[in-house]
Amino acid sequence: MATVSAVTLRNALCQLQCRLTGVPQHAFGYVGLVSNYCQVRTKKQTKAQYKLEPDWFVNRKNRRQGKALTGDNEDFVQEVIGDTYRNQDSMLKEDPWPRQEYHRNTRRTGVVAIKLGVVPQWTKEGHKFFTTLLQVIDNHVIRYTPPEEFEKTSGWKPWWGQRFGSVVVGAMSSDPRNFSKAYNNLFTEAGVPPKKKLTRFLVTPDAAIQPGTPLTAMHFRAGDHVDVQAKTIDYGFQGVVKRWGMKGMPASHGVTKAHRKMGSTGGGGDKSGIWKGKKMPGHMGDKWRILKGLKIWRINTKYNVLYVQGPNIPGNTHGVVRIYDTILRYKRPAPDNHPPMPTWAEEDSQQGVELEYFDENLHVMSEASVSYSQ
Amino acid sequence: MALLAHVARGCSRIPKLQLEAALSVRFQSTLSHNDTKARRARELRPRRNYLLNDEVEQHRKSLLQQSPEVEEIPVQQAEANVPRDFRHVMPEFLPDPNPLYRDRVTEKLERMDMYRRRTCIDIPEFYVGSIMAVTMADHHAPGKQSRFVGICIQRSGTGLRADFTLRNVIDGQGVEVRFDMYGASLQKIEVLKLEQRLDDELFYLRDAAQEYSTIPFDFEPVPLPKGATVPVNSTKVKLNPRPWLERWERHELKGVEDLNLPEKKYRRARQVAKPWERWDLMKRQRESINEDEEESIMKETYMETESTRRARGRQKASLKKTR
Repeated sequence: MATVSAVTLRNALCQLQCRLTGVPQHAFGYVGLVSNYCQVRTKKQTKAQYKLEPDWFVNRKNRRQGKALTGDNEDFVQEVIGDTYRNQDSMLKEDPWPRQEYHRNTRRTGVVAIKLGVVPQWTKEGHKFFTTLLQVIDNHVIRYTPPEEFEKTSGWKPWWGQRFGSVVVGAMSSDPRNFSKAYNNLFTEAGVPPKKKLTRFLVTPDAAIQPGTPLTAMHFRAGDHVDVQAKTIDYGFQGVVKRWGMKGMPASHGVTKAHRKMGSTGGGGDKSGIWKGKKMPGHMGDKWRILKGLKIWRINTKYNVLYVQGPNIPGNTHGVVRIYDTILRYKRPAPDNHPPMPTWAEEDSQQGVELEYFDENLHVMSEASVSYSQ
Repeated sequence: MALLAHVARGCSRIPKLQLEAALSVRFQSTLSHNDTKARRARELRPRRNYLLNDEVEQHRKSLLQQSPEVEEIPVQQAEANVPRDFRHVMPEFLPDPNPLYRDRVTEKLERMDMYRRRTCIDIPEFYVGSIMAVTMADHHAPGKQSRFVGICIQRSGTGLRADFTLRNVIDGQGVEVRFDMYGASLQKIEVLKLEQRLDDELFYLRDAAQEYSTIPFDFEPVPLPKGATVPVNSTKVKLNPRPWLERWERHELKGVEDLNLPEKKYRRARQVAKPWERWDLMKRQRESINEDEEESIMKETYMETESTRRARGRQKASLKKTR
């Protein structure tokens, strides 16, 4: 009886604490009294049902419904919005931060891009391969947090130590009327309109960027290698055949109602029961995935488009992707031949910006066909 | 505290109202019942993890940007008289109509690449049924080049992926080679005999006698008189007896002689046929590009390729669809 009352007491306390703090019940460790270590054969597939909002979280959505405006008034409001942001004090109007040297361990910021489509290209040897077009639309640095302060924010991982600060990058300026006041206030430091997408990159302090700095496709160079991170296509709840590629069962020969079902879930004896990580039906896709070490073959500066190696960048057309310098050891930029620090500025291109930059191994379409010498 | 002790004991004896009231004093905001309901509803609603085409276009041209994309106004150069059926001459310039893959900038960049490639290599007008010769750079061939002659049996792909397939019979063996139209190692494309067939794909030649697809490698080019329309070769191919690679009676072929099949086969073909698809306007809409868009693309293509066509002394594209 004593144990039973202990359990009820704990559960009750737990429930109360949940209600008081708003923290979901499973966030406290003592809900399950007995916990054993179990082998997990694959990555955890389930998502947390309820997430705690981090301390920097602000609500994006504007709950106030604006009144419908007539055409003239609407034009006027848009004009005012444009003037506001064009005349706003930006940190960039102060002295620019000094540019620092690139070191072996430097990690620069990345950019947010949009996936446009897949297009074939050819090498100088005449081999065909596929590239994905990624467009960098209207990127700005919103905030820089040095390592000392970043250490105190939520989301910081102890193994990062004091190596990294963080840079928040925003993409795609939008109408501020669509967002809440708290969200719009995030952009006052940078002096840019509120952005549709925000993301955070870890940077070393020598690659710190002043808020308000625009980022373009020129942040990278043709021939560099990058990592690309994006959400995969959302397939929703899927069966076992589509999700894990299981074979299902035959269409005929006495099979009933089991054509696309999973077969056995496990054996008996010592290994009985359904093991953790068993492949089963469930939600498929809409997960963050990273492709590492992809080469940038070509850069179009007019449209800010990067031609990145490979047809398999995760996500749909017009999906949002994060691009940053690769962390792979042998593909990372070397200190003697490094991309612009901390990002490209107009002074880097003394002869002016060309329309397109090509990797040296790429066959340029306006050149003669590939031919092999005798 | 007394209340907490009650709760610790098992929460059963406290009236529910009292607890709610006690909590609502300090934690009203966190316990707003409606709020959680709304949040759950929001979580259940399906969300896109990508942007719509309109949204992307809006952001590209947004005036809130530092350097918004300026829409290019097409230069009106002496009213380009684009031939009516020019899209059959260069069909690969029309993008894939699948809305999942549409993007204005990709299509534009792709077309720019194609124009550039066309200034370096002559890609002539050809159709399925034309007899062609293609010279490719080849590591393994003597002279590092190889030439293949054959009849074009298929033309597919859009943009830089466009390709065509040539078929010939060499040493009694049917050979088909698929070439990328914009491939970098393509040296030369010749059209030895410009003509059309009754069908859009000639895969049935695989099931016909070899004479139909045998073309000598020293085939003499057949010139077309100036200003003539593209002739349609209306030969009817006699297929070999079954078994075939496909059930050709279900394909509505025009360039094939009577198949001489039992009535059962035709009956089945009639059952499987979908004659109403021809009148399905929505389907046609889905599988084709919008007319205005098509017109503007073909106009651009015509203007861009005109200079190269003129430089090579090619006659104006003069296709008259007769079928």
